[in-house]
Amino acid sequence: MALDGIIILDNNGRPIIQSGFRSTTTAYPLLHIDAVNDALQKAERSADVDPVIYVSSYNAANVSSACCHVRVGDLRFLCPVSGDVDPLLAFAFLQTFIDILREYLGTVSAATVRDNFDIVYQLFEETLDTGGHPLTTYSNALRDIVIPPSLLNKLLSVTGTNFNSTINSGFGAGAAIGPFSSPLPWRKTGVRYNNNEIYFDIVEHFKAIVNKNGAVVSSNVHGKIEANAKLSGTPDCSLNFTNPQVLEDCALHPCVRLLRWNRDKILSFVPPDGRFTLMDYTYSSNPLPSPSPAQQSLSSVMSSRTNVALPFTIKAIVELEDSGGSFDVTLTSRYSTHALENVVADMHLGQGAGGIRCSVSRGSGGGGFINAGGSRNMDTFGASSGASWSFDAQRAVLRWEIPIVPPSSSWSMHGSFSTTNRIPRPSHAIRVHFDISSHTYSALKVGQLKVMNAKENYKPFKGIRGRSSGEVEWRW
Amino acid sequence: MSQPGQDAKFFQRGKIEEFRAELHAAEAKDKKFVKRKTVLKKIVANITMGTDMSPLFPDVVQCLGTPLLEIKKMVYLFLVSYGRSKPDQIHLVIPNFLQDCNDRNPLIRALAIRTMSYIPIPVVTEALSDNLRHALKDRDPYVRKTAAICVAKLYSADPRKAERGGFVELLRDLMLDSNATVVANAVAALSEIGDRQDGVIFKLNLATANKLLAAIPESSEWGQIYILDSLLRYVPERHADAEMMAERIIVQLQHGNSAVILTTIKALLYLMNYMENRQLIDYICKKMGPPLVTLLSSGPEVQYVALRNILLIIQRRPTVLKNDVRVFFCKYNDPIYIKLAKLEIMYRLARAENAKEVLAELQEYASEVDLDFVRKAVRSIGRLAIKVEAAADDCIQALLDLIETKVTYVVQEAVIVIKDIFRRYPGKYEGIIPNLCENIDALDEPEAKSSMIWILGQYANIIDNADELLDDLCYTFLEESTEVQLALLTATVKLFVYKSRADKAKELVHKVLKWATEEADNPDLRDRGFMYWRMLAINPTVAGEIVLSEKPPITTDSDRMDRGALDQLLLHTGTLGSVYHKNPETFIRNAAGKALKDSPALNAHSRAVLIPLARTQLPSMAPIVVTGPGPTERSMEPQTQSSSVAPSPPSKTDNDTDLLTQSQPDPISQNSSSNDQDEAEDDEPPHTRQTNNLDPYSNLDNAFGSYLADEPRPMASRRHAEEDDLLF
Repeated sequence: MALDGIIILDNNGRPIIQSGFRSTTTAYPLLHIDAVNDALQKAERSADVDPVIYVSSYNAANVSSACCHVRVGDLRFLCPVSGDVDPLLAFAFLQTFIDILREYLGTVSAATVRDNFDIVYQLFEETLDTGGHPLTTYSNALRDIVIPPSLLNKLLSVTGTNFNSTINSGFGAGAAIGPFSSPLPWRKTGVRYNNNEIYFDIVEHFKAIVNKNGAVVSSNVHGKIEANAKLSGTPDCSLNFTNPQVLEDCALHPCVRLLRWNRDKILSFVPPDGRFTLMDYTYSSNPLPSPSPAQQSLSSVMSSRTNVALPFTIKAIVELEDSGGSFDVTLTSRYSTHALENVVADMHLGQGAGGIRCSVSRGSGGGGFINAGGSRNMDTFGASSGASWSFDAQRAVLRWEIPIVPPSSSWSMHGSFSTTNRIPRPSHAIRVHFDISSHTYSALKVGQLKVMNAKENYKPFKGIRGRSSGEVEWRW
Repeated sequence: MSQPGQDAKFFQRGKIEEFRAELHAAEAKDKKFVKRKTVLKKIVANITMGTDMSPLFPDVVQCLGTPLLEIKKMVYLFLVSYGRSKPDQIHLVIPNFLQDCNDRNPLIRALAIRTMSYIPIPVVTEALSDNLRHALKDRDPYVRKTAAICVAKLYSADPRKAERGGFVELLRDLMLDSNATVVANAVAALSEIGDRQDGVIFKLNLATANKLLAAIPESSEWGQIYILDSLLRYVPERHADAEMMAERIIVQLQHGNSAVILTTIKALLYLMNYMENRQLIDYICKKMGPPLVTLLSSGPEVQYVALRNILLIIQRRPTVLKNDVRVFFCKYNDPIYIKLAKLEIMYRLARAENAKEVLAELQEYASEVDLDFVRKAVRSIGRLAIKVEAAADDCIQALLDLIETKVTYVVQEAVIVIKDIFRRYPGKYEGIIPNLCENIDALDEPEAKSSMIWILGQYANIIDNADELLDDLCYTFLEESTEVQLALLTATVKLFVYKSRADKAKELVHKVLKWATEEADNPDLRDRGFMYWRMLAINPTVAGEIVLSEKPPITTDSDRMDRGALDQLLLHTGTLGSVYHKNPETFIRNAAGKALKDSPALNAHSRAVLIPLARTQLPSMAPIVVTGPGPTERSMEPQTQSSSVAPSPPSKTDNDTDLLTQSQPDPISQNSSSNDQDEAEDDEPPHTRQTNNLDPYSNLDNAFGSYLADEPRPMASRRHAEEDDLLF
């Protein structure tokens, strides 16, 4: 169980920075970089490269290994592993490392990594041991050892002098509350805020596949509760829900006391400082145990655990002919109270598609008002009211964007395209992505949130809100 | 002045001499060491870019005395990079190391220990040994946890010395530390040592395993992974122990970290081998499904690993995810590796109840854009027909619809699978042959062509114009690939057997036999030609009986892996082995194999298929045993090759013969290879499961390595009827 290190590549596949690789030969990281670049070059779509690449050794004396890689923005993170390692460990670690970088650098890009290479280097040292064991990854503890650049910059800009030494020497003296003295690995002791606040965001994501008859083939709602805690001392929170039965397959942050949750469905925890994901769950609309196999009819065997009504319907008429085709797509919101926002519909028209002629318009229904946002001035846009289309020739994707779909309104797009092949082969599906603010599918409701603190008595400000998004693949 | 955040300018190559001069200049009038820091930063940036900075060794080391953590860190970074290559100068640093090992700041103490452990030079190792012993008992947990990992490094530098120094025992004591992170790191270090081929055996007894479990709630996710993984080193002696342990770790399935979930599942799968409570096993199987599904909402990389593992798990524990086939339906923009993995799982989860739904989905895929995926989808439709009898009618209809599309590669795939369907359901679907014959011209790939030719030959009696069609195909006989030539040869012989009176058939077979024996370069083709020729010359009736002999029905189920091998692979759940579906020792050198260990609690079914692990023991090395805390148990005995073999349960002899027959070529496939010469695909050795005692996994590749492993095969007699009870 060992990760050999991390390599960060830029857009052109050149390494920007890499961790030590001290237990291996110097050729080893190069071998992996080459292997990944090779694979990327060979693949038609870079997304189609296996995430775990087998890297054979360059001579008999060396052990063959594998390379796990992830793309983030204009960077690619490589994690070579040798021996029988859990690739998920590599991916989980890479994800954690990327999260840490994001916290330290704001955005993770080639520019920010270059600008802060010493920070990145220090983070390599502290998060991953040369033997390949992940070390400190809780940002609370890390911030004690590796000082985030923002803090430094802030100090420097305020005083105009170099404060590094003061901060550093502070370590020696301040060892009384040294790092890792906290009994909870995710929270350091002695946190202090003037305004104590804790926020929860309930974020739900709906995924569905709809067949050509408009019936849902497969769907699920995946939710998570993101928290941002700014609380002094060592607060003990307990959170309960009025309808916990909608939660299923819960995955909890390690700070949550599992026994308490399993027994009483109460989330009892000492929160980490700052942002964290408290829990992940799946929304289940029929929490009853599934009927015995004998009485399961075909439909009920297959009925997925969630039955969320589709937020919209699509009517797509696509006619294919020689070297082209025409399409007429109508999207109608089925919601009566909520507006769908940032609706993006993608149609893959197949290799060699082009010559798009297209028009988008708003149909009837939904009245003139806009429920959410409200600030948008519709009149200036006339009938099309902000809907637009674009075509990505390289990926052969026609994209239809509607900023806001008011309740029960209807929108349409029609046009034609041509292809270089005689027989057009578009994907028989439209992918629609959308957001809904102030709404959750599960209607999960927080009953009570208690924040207890033995030493200090403060009443924190508590905030809870929900938002949703969705991704539907509508086949035609 | 150096400010973090604007350091990109340091990424330019500098000259050694310049740096040296700058370092010396920095020694004077360096307020708050700013200058020195800037130079060091430049040097570190150059190391990053791969420039050799080692000539600066003596100069950089000078800075170690600077009382500033940031500078110390950079110097240590330098030391870690070049210390190894400077054995003659490293003694300069030793005093600094020793001083830092006794610093008041735990960070510096840990840093010194860590850096020393990275430099495997005897002088440093010597100095490390003494300090490490103190560090392992340091009052600060950060130092202790760092020291634990350093022991593994010390061990890899000189195993015997580390053992003599009593470090393994010290680590073992750390497993009982009050700090969870320290415990986890001690476990990680011990595991690393235990995985070495020359390392001490790391086994857990019940008491220690329980202590480790208690540390889980407070550990970081990495710590939890190490601890959960180490549970595989505990061999339960009683069913109750395994069951209790499973109940304790099952809550970890709710963890947010995907690696923790998969490691928990691995531990549960392992413990299930030692349980007898059916209800509990069933319950655990049910519990494992949802977290696996949750993993599928992560990024494509995690999904991929999860899917490969699910494929393994559902073969051994079919109840897991039994009703969740929908979850694996593909989205059109899934990366291809995800799609293919999902397709395999969909096929495995298909059964009579959900076949309709799966078929509808497969049909959808058959019209997709991605060529490779479409082919496999079409092939899966055929496999589905063969696997689920109730769905066969619908599948055939679907395939006919696909042939109607006239898309070349779809038609070719359809023909290939239809050939197998004919063999699976003899006398049921021959009516569709005319539809196939219409598309004969579309076939240009050898596999599709030879499948079609097989059909023509096999059913020459019911295809009126079989002779014409075969004659047409024979025009290009000499240019065809061997596969097609063999098929043509056999098909014409069959045609002749059916219609021995027709002149055309006679003429055709004569022509082909002549080609095969006189003009072909391929010895297989020539030999087969001669053999047919002689058979037909000596006794045409017997030849007919042989060529058209009854074929054994085929199934796709026989590809299910040996249970023993599966049990063993599942010990690697979540690891590279499970992604490549191979045991790691077969593709990673020095990887220690894992095998289920026998104990009174191991249930009989698992024992029956137990594959003993051949641990390559270094010849002169006697295994070193470190007794654990608490009572010494039997399981602490050194593990040697023979001790992991089942100590003869009553059914032992049966098992042996079982294993033997399994590794011998199947009697049926042997028959088919001698009788059934008409099988074009039989030019490969019919039995891929060659006996190879040295490597029990040699068949893994064929059993299951690739998608093609699903190739329908002759139905094996159900020897292990009782094995079908996969709950155990």
